[in-house]
Amino acid sequence: MGSSVSHAAAPPPTAVGLAVALPPKQDEKAEPKNVDWLNLPCPVPFEEIQREASMSLKPELFEGLKFDFTKGLNQRFSLSHSIFMGSMELPSQSSDTFKVPTAHYEFGANFLDPKLMLVGRVLTDGRLNARVKCDLTDNLTLKINAQLTNEPHFSQGMFNFDYKGTDYRTQFQIGNNAFYGANYIQSISPHLSLGTEIFWLGHQRKSGIGFAARYNTDKIVATGQVASTGTVALSYVQKVSEKVSLASDFMYNHLTQDVTSSFGYDYILRQCRLRGKLDSNGVVAAFLEERLNMGVNFILSAEVDHRKKDYKFGFGMTVGE
Amino acid sequence: MASKVSLKGKRKAGKGSKGPGERSACKCKCVKEWSTWAMKKAKVITHYGFIPLIIVIGMNSEPKPQLYQLLSPV
Repeated sequence: MGSSVSHAAAPPPTAVGLAVALPPKQDEKAEPKNVDWLNLPCPVPFEEIQREASMSLKPELFEGLKFDFTKGLNQRFSLSHSIFMGSMELPSQSSDTFKVPTAHYEFGANFLDPKLMLVGRVLTDGRLNARVKCDLTDNLTLKINAQLTNEPHFSQGMFNFDYKGTDYRTQFQIGNNAFYGANYIQSISPHLSLGTEIFWLGHQRKSGIGFAARYNTDKIVATGQVASTGTVALSYVQKVSEKVSLASDFMYNHLTQDVTSSFGYDYILRQCRLRGKLDSNGVVAAFLEERLNMGVNFILSAEVDHRKKDYKFGFGMTVGE
Repeated sequence: MASKVSLKGKRKAGKGSKGPGERSACKCKCVKEWSTWAMKKAKVITHYGFIPLIIVIGMNSEPKPQLYQLLSPV
C-alpha cells in the first residue's frame, strides 16, 4: 500500500515520452532475484549464438524482382511458388563486380509438424534444397540440410544430431567432404552462456577449434566468438524499446587481415519492419517489409556499395504466410 | 650366400605378413566402393524423390486436402 502511494506521487515529469515507450521497471528492481544455480535456463543453440545481430544486420538483400506465393493446403502442408528475375553476383578476385542476369522459378513443398519438418525447394535448373528436422526423442533432434545439383561433385549435405540437456546443448555434425564437427554450449549463469566448437575437414586435413560466449538480458545481447581459423567476431544488440533495436558487429580475420564493423537498426512496427545498416566497407543497406493486407507483404531492398560503386535495388511481393 | 638366404627369408616373411593385410585392404576397398555406390544411388533417389515424398506425406496428413487444391492457385 505504501509503495503504491509513493509510485503514484513520483512519476518523473520531464520523461513522459520515454515513460510511454519503455515498460515500467519498478517491479523488477523491487526484489533482487535469487539465482537458482541448479535450474539454469537452457541456452540458445550454438549456431544461433549471434541470432539477434544476424537478424538485424543481415537481412536477405536481393537485386531484381522477387515474387513469392505460398499456398496452404492444410495446417501443416503448404506449397510455394517463387519467381526471381534479376542479377546474381559472381565472386571475382578483382575489385570489379560481375553480375549475371538470371531468372528462375522455384517450386517448394513444406510439411511442418511439431515433431517432423520437411522443407524442399527445387529450381528450374534442377537444384534441390532439402531440409529435414526430426525430433527423435524429447531431447534428441536430427537435422539434415542438403543442396543437390545435377553437376557432379557440387552437391553438399550435412547431418546434425542435437541433444538438449537441462542447461546445456550439444551438437554433432557430419558433412560431405568428410566434415566432422561438434559443439557444446552451457549456461553458466541466468544471463551468461559459454560454448565451444571443434571441426575437422577430412579432405583438406584441416581442423579448428573455437570458443564463444553470450551474455543476454532482456535489453541487451552481447556475444563474442574466437576461432583457431583466425577469426574474432563480436556483436552487441541493444533493445531500445519494444519496436526498436540497435545492433553492432565487429569481425576481424587475422589471416587475411580483414576487419569489418557494421552498425544497424531494426524497427518492428505495426505494419512494417525496417532494417538498415552501415558498414565500414562503405556499404549502406536497407530492407523494408511492409504489410499491405492480411498475408500480402511488399518488400524493398537496397544495397549501395560506395567503394566498389555497386548499386543494388530490389522489389518484390510475398503472398501467403 | 648367407646374405642371399637372409634376403629371401625376409622377402618371404614380408609376403606372408602381407597376406592377411592384403585381404583386409581388399575388404576396406570393397566397403568403400559399395558405400560410394550407395551414396550415389541415395543422392539420385533424394534428388528425384524428396519433393514427391513431401507431397505424399502432406496429402495424407489430417485434414486431408483434395487433389484439385494441389494444382489450383486459389
